[in-house]
Amino acid sequence: MTAVTTPSSPSTSTSVTPHQVWLRTRGLLLAVLLLVVAAIALAATRSGDQHGRLDPRSAGPYGSRAIAELLKDHGISFRVVTTLRDATTAAGSDTTLLVTTPNLLTPHQQNTLRTATSGTVGRTVLLGADPTSVSRLAPGVQAKPPASVVTRPPACLLPAARRAGSVETGGVRYDANGLDAIACYPAAGLPSVLLLRQPAGGDTVLLGSADFLYNERLDRQGNASLALQLLGSRPHLTWYLPSLTDPSATGGPADDGNADNNTANGESSFIGLIPSGWLWGTQQLAVAAVLAAVWRARRLGPLVTERLPVAIRASESTEGRARLSRKANARDRAAASLRHATRTRMASLVGVSPREAHLPAVLLPALSARIGPAPGDLDVLLFGPAPAEDSALVLLADRLDSLEREVRTS
Amino acid sequence: MALTGRTALLAALGSLPVGIVAPSWTGMLAVNAPLSLAILCDYALAAPVRSLQFTRSGDTTVRLGDQAEVQLSVVNPSRRRLRAHLRDAWPPSSWLPGTEHASSRHELTVPPGERRRLSTVLRPTRRGDRKAEQVTVRSYGPLGLAARQGSHRVPWTVRVLPPFTSRKHLPSRLARLRELDGRTSLLTRGEGTEFDSLRAYVPGDDVRSIDWRATARQSAVAVRTWRPERDRHVLVVLDTGRTSAGRLGDVPRLDAAMDATLLLTALAARAGDRVGLLAYSRRVRARVQGRATGEVLAAVVDALTPLEPELVETDARGLVAAALAHAPRRSLIVLLTSLDAAPVEEGLLPVLPQLTQRHTVLLAAVSDPQVAGMADARGTVDAIYEAAAGAEAEAQRRRTADKLKRYGVVVVDAPPDTLAPALADAYLALKAAGRL
Repeated sequence: MTAVTTPSSPSTSTSVTPHQVWLRTRGLLLAVLLLVVAAIALAATRSGDQHGRLDPRSAGPYGSRAIAELLKDHGISFRVVTTLRDATTAAGSDTTLLVTTPNLLTPHQQNTLRTATSGTVGRTVLLGADPTSVSRLAPGVQAKPPASVVTRPPACLLPAARRAGSVETGGVRYDANGLDAIACYPAAGLPSVLLLRQPAGGDTVLLGSADFLYNERLDRQGNASLALQLLGSRPHLTWYLPSLTDPSATGGPADDGNADNNTANGESSFIGLIPSGWLWGTQQLAVAAVLAAVWRARRLGPLVTERLPVAIRASESTEGRARLSRKANARDRAAASLRHATRTRMASLVGVSPREAHLPAVLLPALSARIGPAPGDLDVLLFGPAPAEDSALVLLADRLDSLEREVRTS
Repeated sequence: MALTGRTALLAALGSLPVGIVAPSWTGMLAVNAPLSLAILCDYALAAPVRSLQFTRSGDTTVRLGDQAEVQLSVVNPSRRRLRAHLRDAWPPSSWLPGTEHASSRHELTVPPGERRRLSTVLRPTRRGDRKAEQVTVRSYGPLGLAARQGSHRVPWTVRVLPPFTSRKHLPSRLARLRELDGRTSLLTRGEGTEFDSLRAYVPGDDVRSIDWRATARQSAVAVRTWRPERDRHVLVVLDTGRTSAGRLGDVPRLDAAMDATLLLTALAARAGDRVGLLAYSRRVRARVQGRATGEVLAAVVDALTPLEPELVETDARGLVAAALAHAPRRSLIVLLTSLDAAPVEEGLLPVLPQLTQRHTVLLAAVSDPQVAGMADARGTVDAIYEAAAGAEAEAQRRRTADKLKRYGVVVVDAPPDTLAPALADAYLALKAAGRL
């Protein structure tokens, strides 16, 4: 067996070798690696503050484990939920529902939450709800631009507030104009804590800022007192931490599994009516389409370029001159050229030298001798004035042609 | 890496099990994971492209209009069977328009360690050198799902020679030449003939051609025969400036001038004259000098092949100086240029006496049949203006030609298809008149 030894000629391949690929991309790879390391390092050093914010299981400065423990000590049953479905089923007459970040809920989720809580006698506590959230979760209340969080006096008749005294409040301020509400802790005239009584007997508490629930602030002023009274008014507390894994957050109205809600509203989109097999099949077809695009996009070698010669028609300048005279209506010049050409051709036919072809005294007698008595006015035809209009120019050309034909055939 | 239509088809068929049996991420994974694995395996099992070895052979020259065949042999040194599509890329003008795709693609199967030969047929549409571009190979795996692709550079050049369409006129002009030539011996002596030989008198010969001195030396009556002068010098000067770039139909003026050059070279070489060539625009672009008569035609063809018109104004002074430098002895200088008024009157006429005082000058120009057609246009107003412009252009050419003739220059002005025979006739006429 003869093994193929090293080829005698150097490789003709133009493709890059793996070694070349490595040489070319190592700088880029190094940069990407540095970027990733830097990002991880930054995340590790800077992420501690806000991690576990308002989480009743977190003991960090911004967590809420302290208040959770206090509530448990007071005999309140405590439950943490992360999905809207759990939150709405938990809502009931003897339950306080705390929504830590109502602004993160989708409009649909907010509507669902509102529908589930408005009919109960329980309490709903919303932390830092912004204008769009408030318009859905507590219709009629208006949210105003936030104020700074400082210690404020209660300045209201709410027993819980009066007992707690000064509390660190602030944040979003609310205006419950004309509603049945108790406004407390005003900041620049508008309350930052608002207790809204519902027609069904329940109530909704809007807190402009959640700062007094943080572990690090709970022990200051009357923070703990207010928190215990607001959250401990019912025997059960449902602590709702909205999460991205909640199916109701990703899907549309028909896709959150809350089927009876949808049929009750009578709204279901086209996508919702299609069997899921079709959707998944289409998704697989999309994969096939991408593969087909990759298949068609790959060319068999690069395009070949070629220097092309210039393409100038030799007659271009003559054509240009024709158009120019046409535009300028240079009938005199055109007629002169045509007459000159005809005279030159006829002179050779009747035996007049080219030098004398354009002298009427020489050419006209020679022509008359050739074609007999002159038909009409040869003089005017060959040496006359320029035609006055375009039709006369066309006619002149025809008459020159017919004269030449006559001379040729005679 | 390249995929095939089969891959896309399989993925599309996969939508059936996904849609019917398992409409979920699991279903998609169950279809696409084996497919991806198959693609990767196929890619890994395809014969490598980088290690292929190529060599070329075949035609290196072809006349424009004919076809050339270039062979490409492929050696597959790997242990895997090569199933591939191969593209042998050449510049687009190497093929007739529309046939590039079919002519450049080849399907190829090379068993491990063996060699196969492909042949690419070129039909160039333009004169000049055609250099081979890359050879691209797409090597498919055994399943036909994925392919490796790579290119190799295998240099080869095919020189596309001028078509020399006027060679059909050569036999008739050679016959005319023979009439002038000693082979149909002339008994009359005149200008442009030289002594050829003595031969025995036969009844019918002109008694004036009897060489009495030779007759006295011999016992028989001898007559002298004459033949046209030989070993004259002809220098063809080709103007490759901007006026040669204008197209008549689909070919530039320069190509018509080249055709005429080739016919004249072939004829003059047969007539025993020494032919030289000079192509000039603002510098000498090609030259042929001092070649033996047998090889001059090939040398001229070779020199003309890569020439393209340059879009610059020809330097007439430099052209005349170069011509004088190339024609040390009395020669016939054939100037292939234009009869446009401005370049001739401003450029050539002032320096023409330097040429005419020593050499015979023949100026050949290609006229435009389209302008002649314009001069005959009638009917509409536009046509009349065209006719007037055409007539004016022709009159202008005639005037320029007359000015040149006053310097003793022989002028040949003909459309591209008749320029070559007209120039050959002018050459024969000059030769017969002994003006070389």
